[in-house]
Amino acid sequence: MTQAGRTRTPWLYLLPTVAVLAPLFGYPIYMLGLLSVFDYRQAQVSGGEPTTFIGFGNYATLFGDPRFWSILGQTVVFAAVLVIVTLAVGAALAVVLTRAGHWPRLLLSLAAMAAWAAPAMTGSTVWMFLFDADLGLVNQVLGIDGFNWFYDRWVTFGVVGATVVWHSFPLVMVMLFAGIQAIPVSVREAAALDGASEWQSFWRIIVPMLRPLITIVVIQSIIWDFKIFTQIYVMTNGGGIAGQNSVLNVYAYQTAFGSSEYGLGSAIGVVMTLILLVVTLFYIRALHRTGEKL
Amino acid sequence: MKRVLTGLGVAAIVAYCLIPFYWMVVSSFRRTADIYHQTPLPSPWSLESYAGVFDEGTGFGQALLNSAVVAVVTTAVTLLIGTLAAYALARLDFRGKNVILALIIAVSMFPGALLVVPLLKLFTSIGWINSYQAMILPSMSFALPLTVWNLTTFFRQMPRELEHAAMIDGCSAFDAFRKVILPVAAPGVFTTAILAFIVTWNEFIIAVTMVNDVDRQTATVRIAQFTGAAKFATPFGTQMAAGVLVTIPLVILVLFFQRRIVAGLTAGAVK
Repeated sequence: MTQAGRTRTPWLYLLPTVAVLAPLFGYPIYMLGLLSVFDYRQAQVSGGEPTTFIGFGNYATLFGDPRFWSILGQTVVFAAVLVIVTLAVGAALAVVLTRAGHWPRLLLSLAAMAAWAAPAMTGSTVWMFLFDADLGLVNQVLGIDGFNWFYDRWVTFGVVGATVVWHSFPLVMVMLFAGIQAIPVSVREAAALDGASEWQSFWRIIVPMLRPLITIVVIQSIIWDFKIFTQIYVMTNGGGIAGQNSVLNVYAYQTAFGSSEYGLGSAIGVVMTLILLVVTLFYIRALHRTGEKL
Repeated sequence: MKRVLTGLGVAAIVAYCLIPFYWMVVSSFRRTADIYHQTPLPSPWSLESYAGVFDEGTGFGQALLNSAVVAVVTTAVTLLIGTLAAYALARLDFRGKNVILALIIAVSMFPGALLVVPLLKLFTSIGWINSYQAMILPSMSFALPLTVWNLTTFFRQMPRELEHAAMIDGCSAFDAFRKVILPVAAPGVFTTAILAFIVTWNEFIIAVTMVNDVDRQTATVRIAQFTGAAKFATPFGTQMAAGVLVTIPLVILVLFFQRRIVAGLTAGAVK
């Protein structure tokens, strides 16, 4: 093969993928950035009024709006709690799996995989049915007929959070389980012989040995939980009472489409993209450290 | 005492996993009038909700078909072009490879809800609204990075001797890839296909934004809009039945290919 052929070939293989992804992301990101510096609403979409360049006007509006800060705050808190709960449940079950017999292990992993594969849409409707105010199963069992789980802001976040974790812990469980399996049995047995409890050997052996993997799982969960959309959108009917349960992703979408404030919605999108970009950089660094060739 | 507590904890989590499924299936077989019953099994059993799902006017059969078209085409195209890219990234040396890999990861983090705002404008202006391609192309924004990343990890694990032997025997690099690597890599490609299919089948934001024609809506969007379709009763029964129908193909895939899916999911994360 000639030198020129050697250097050109890889790009031939990459060409179709790049040809799809570059415009698919390039155009929307470019447009988000562009729209975010224009006054662009329904009047401009319909062509009734000219679009005017307003520089950082949308950003100024956004940063001066207490609602933006409160949504940003609750997005961060909601995501943080979800990450912690997802990890706790996922890690606990991963440890249980390593000790379970054949059949319990199979049953548990099948149940978890099914929850992972179920569409976010289906999960949302089932959980809404379970927590229905009038005659839902949960209210009947608890004897609190008529209690509305979708009224108070944080109670609502609790139910939506339980649904999100239901979908997302299986992946964490499976990844950590595979990681634990990769730890030599002799190491775990030695700890048990030395009288370490399950709790101790988890914190002193499994966690330190799996630190790179755990970092990756944590960052993946952060990214995933930070951009939750479907469950909030469906379960709280687009963001809850007066938008009290909105998160950044839903807020950007609703501002652009619901209120036809395309410029402002784009500005929210840009802010969100920048936050995710920072997290992603940490992710790439963590991958690099595990020896993933990057 | 401690063992009892651990046992209870595990039981609670298993219940947490299973009860929503169980209740969805059981409730889908109740009569509409019995939808709030708490008996562990429906009495009497009824297919009323399933009949409701396929009633004229709900168009759920068409919606399942639309979901299948979008998911199958997206998966097929994604695999076709993603396999090539993954091979280059795993096996060929060239400048800019790390940048491409980092970009693949970065774009897979990008929220779909942000993508659809500008894309809707674009698709409106070129008349793509209510078309399959308006769902298929944006779906590749998450299916393609997933595929490339998974397959890259997979190809890396294969012994290099494979292509070397083929190329010594006179195969070109592409022939070596097509005739030697691909057949050996089939299980990994297959797993990736299942993952891509599942994420595309479950997609909601793109489908709900790009399509407003009932005949082109996918199943996940259709379920969300059942509220308006059932006039006489709460739509929970039909929603549960529809939920069962949408989830069944995925659960079957998971049941049959559990090991491979797990292997595919952990690819790249565990060495």
